Amino acid sequence: MRIGLRLTILLSLLLVCLICFNVQGAEKIFRYSLRADCSTLDPQLANSQDTSTVAHHIYEGLIRYTGGEIKPGMAKNWEVSADGRVYTFQLREAKWSNGEPVTAYDFEYGIRRLLDPQTGSYYSFAGFIIKNGAKVNRGELPVEELGVKAIDAKTLRIELEQPADYFLAYTGFVSFYPVKKDYVEKHGKEFAADADKLLYNGPFILKEWRHEDRLILVKNPDYWNRETVKLDGAEIIIVTDANTAVSMFENGILDLVDVPTALIEQYRDDVEFYFSGADDFLKYGIDTNPYLKNTNLRRAINYSIDRENFIKLTTNDIYQAGTRYVIPIVSGVEKSYGEEYPLQFYPLKADLKLAENYLKQALDELGLNSPAEIELEFLTTDHDTSRIQAEVLQHMIQQLGIKVEIRQVTYKQRLTMEAEHQFDMVFSGWAPDYDDPLTYLELWVSDGPYNHGGFNNQEYDALIKQAIYETDQRQRMDALFAAEKVLLEEAGICPLQFRRIPYMINPRVKGLIRYYIGAREDFVTADIF
Amino acid sequence: MFKYLMKRFVISILTLFVLITVVWILVRLVPGDPFIGEKVTPQIKLNMIRYYGFDQPLYRQYLIYLRNLLKGDLGYSLKYRNVTVNKILADSFPYSASLGIRSLLFALVGGILLGTTAAFNRGRFLDYFCIIIAIIGVSVPDFILGYLLQFVFGIRLKWLPVAQWQGIKYTILPVIGLGTYTLAMISRLMRTNMLEVLQQDYIKTAKSKGLSTLKIILKHQLRNAIIPVITVLGPTTAAILTGTFVIESIFSIPGMGKYYVTAVQNLDYSLILGMTIFYGFFLVVANAIVDLLYGIIDPRIRIY
Repeated sequence: MRIGLRLTILLSLLLVCLICFNVQGAEKIFRYSLRADCSTLDPQLANSQDTSTVAHHIYEGLIRYTGGEIKPGMAKNWEVSADGRVYTFQLREAKWSNGEPVTAYDFEYGIRRLLDPQTGSYYSFAGFIIKNGAKVNRGELPVEELGVKAIDAKTLRIELEQPADYFLAYTGFVSFYPVKKDYVEKHGKEFAADADKLLYNGPFILKEWRHEDRLILVKNPDYWNRETVKLDGAEIIIVTDANTAVSMFENGILDLVDVPTALIEQYRDDVEFYFSGADDFLKYGIDTNPYLKNTNLRRAINYSIDRENFIKLTTNDIYQAGTRYVIPIVSGVEKSYGEEYPLQFYPLKADLKLAENYLKQALDELGLNSPAEIELEFLTTDHDTSRIQAEVLQHMIQQLGIKVEIRQVTYKQRLTMEAEHQFDMVFSGWAPDYDDPLTYLELWVSDGPYNHGGFNNQEYDALIKQAIYETDQRQRMDALFAAEKVLLEEAGICPLQFRRIPYMINPRVKGLIRYYIGAREDFVTADIF
Repeated sequence: MFKYLMKRFVISILTLFVLITVVWILVRLVPGDPFIGEKVTPQIKLNMIRYYGFDQPLYRQYLIYLRNLLKGDLGYSLKYRNVTVNKILADSFPYSASLGIRSLLFALVGGILLGTTAAFNRGRFLDYFCIIIAIIGVSVPDFILGYLLQFVFGIRLKWLPVAQWQGIKYTILPVIGLGTYTLAMISRLMRTNMLEVLQQDYIKTAKSKGLSTLKIILKHQLRNAIIPVITVLGPTTAAILTGTFVIESIFSIPGMGKYYVTAVQNLDYSLILGMTIFYGFFLVVANAIVDLLYGIIDPRIRIY
């Protein structure tokens, strides 16, 4: 009898515990942190990956680009013209969070707004692929002349400057998201400043936005594809300090955290990695420094770099050595670009013999007696890690007898000096905008706005032009690969590393996607078990 | 008194005007371009410059700024494109002020207690104990103390939250982290002044009158010893209430300090100016209050 009573009590307690556990587990909230708050959630003003990641979850573009896969979004289907220049999208029945329908006019307005010079959008360059995009942005044509047109409420037609296979995936990018004209005009400059000054059409709604503190997302009950959304919501907490974020993960407050390189040894067994898509390289002041104008001198420097050691010393072996320029994981024609076009242009270890040969040729061509006559300034930002990177590279380059002086300036000053061609060598980088090698390679065309070093090669320009207008995908990709080889052969830049980010994730979270294009974290279809 | 207040008011306004002008010029002289970015082309930069009215002559931009300032409009942030500087201040100041007031109270109460205890136990164990605490408090930087508190009480012992600002228990670690330096400073000042005051003739007179020890401490010693503390309290209050980057970053508190530093990094002209003016205003007011307090606490000091 007494045993029976005890058993009953024990079972009752167990039941209560189970109920409590279930009640607690009922709310599936994914929690992670951002280093800084979103500067804006206005799609056309967005200018950071943090912003585009949050926007990816509260808005939806014509398509949804997830982990390299194109899925229908607001457009249920689309057609591409035979010449690859005209895209016609058919929109589905979908609602804004105020109950109004999402129409092609909202897309037309959004994209025109992106390129309207009066908007002052940082990312207006994203729309330069659209017919007259650059001209509209320069104020040479009215926005009505832009190649985007709502045929009717549910049909949108986009005409491009030239065929671009990557464009369809690119329409999933934040800059091309729709916005409702009357709503934007009603709020004026304060549109998207707060959670209640936004309209949503994505899988989640921003319930609360406490600036520099947290963003609270809840599942959008009106989202057309709500059945695929498993989470009830997400909480994005702003944690400036990377060490604090790791502590919060350890205490179970966060489900996902990026691990700073300094802490990697402590967590090496627990981390996973993903490539952010960004690569780092040295830009040479080819058009400003008389020595660096010499190709053989640049080649000598490029071969003097021990990339393996550089990665070891500066990132604890986390990043991957950049023995080529284009990150290999980017899409090729059928497989990844790296699989289709493998290349290890520079060795992992320094090839000092080859470097000295090139240096000798360079000295002859420049009419110099000794490498000590060459003095170069190494420009970088004022972070501690930048200092370490610069010192390691300085040591490697100085093995050739060249003098290298390090100059550290603020980030904004570095960018200004780069844009004004005021550098000999600068530690720089690039993050991709769309899933194609062209996003990296188009930088170095002789009249490119980002070609701050002044690399000027006719063969390279011709290959990029060919790739831009080529409709045959294989030939296009061949041209891009040939261009990459020209860039490396001519030592237009010095590739250094591909950024590989270590992170830890709560094992109960399944289905989170981390990708190098678009949203950095995609939890639309993630679940918590 | 009224004349003094008016004089004080006019000087304060002039101080603020000079501050605004100097900071406005200095901000523009900082090397670097606020509109530059990894992907900003010259055309996009030009569009941004026009959008913010930075294409107008500098004197005009300055006059427009002053005109808007008189209306209480600090303009739009350059980084947070849709948000006004006024809103950023209104959002972030309550967090910084809440943390600051708590830290100040902690520092004041703790510092006075520690300093007084040390003075009354001069040369004994308690004196050395208080001195050691004060030395540690002054010499350990806040970023080390912050991480240490977080590690010990947040991660290892799990007694208190690691970070964020969600309720009373979330405030304990950042308050200690922020207030310890001031506490140590006040306790050192209090100890020195208390010892000095103890030697004074009026203390002997008070004792010989037969006043109780508590009365002597409160009415004669504390009141006289606290004046130097009040002097440092003015600028300290302004600094502590308007946010500190390190503690706010370590404990993820959305206060002004975080905004201030990122504004400088981003060359967010309007936010830097807005925050500096706000800080300057606070400093001027805090100093004025301190001056008035002198007269109230020590009638020998005539402020007018």
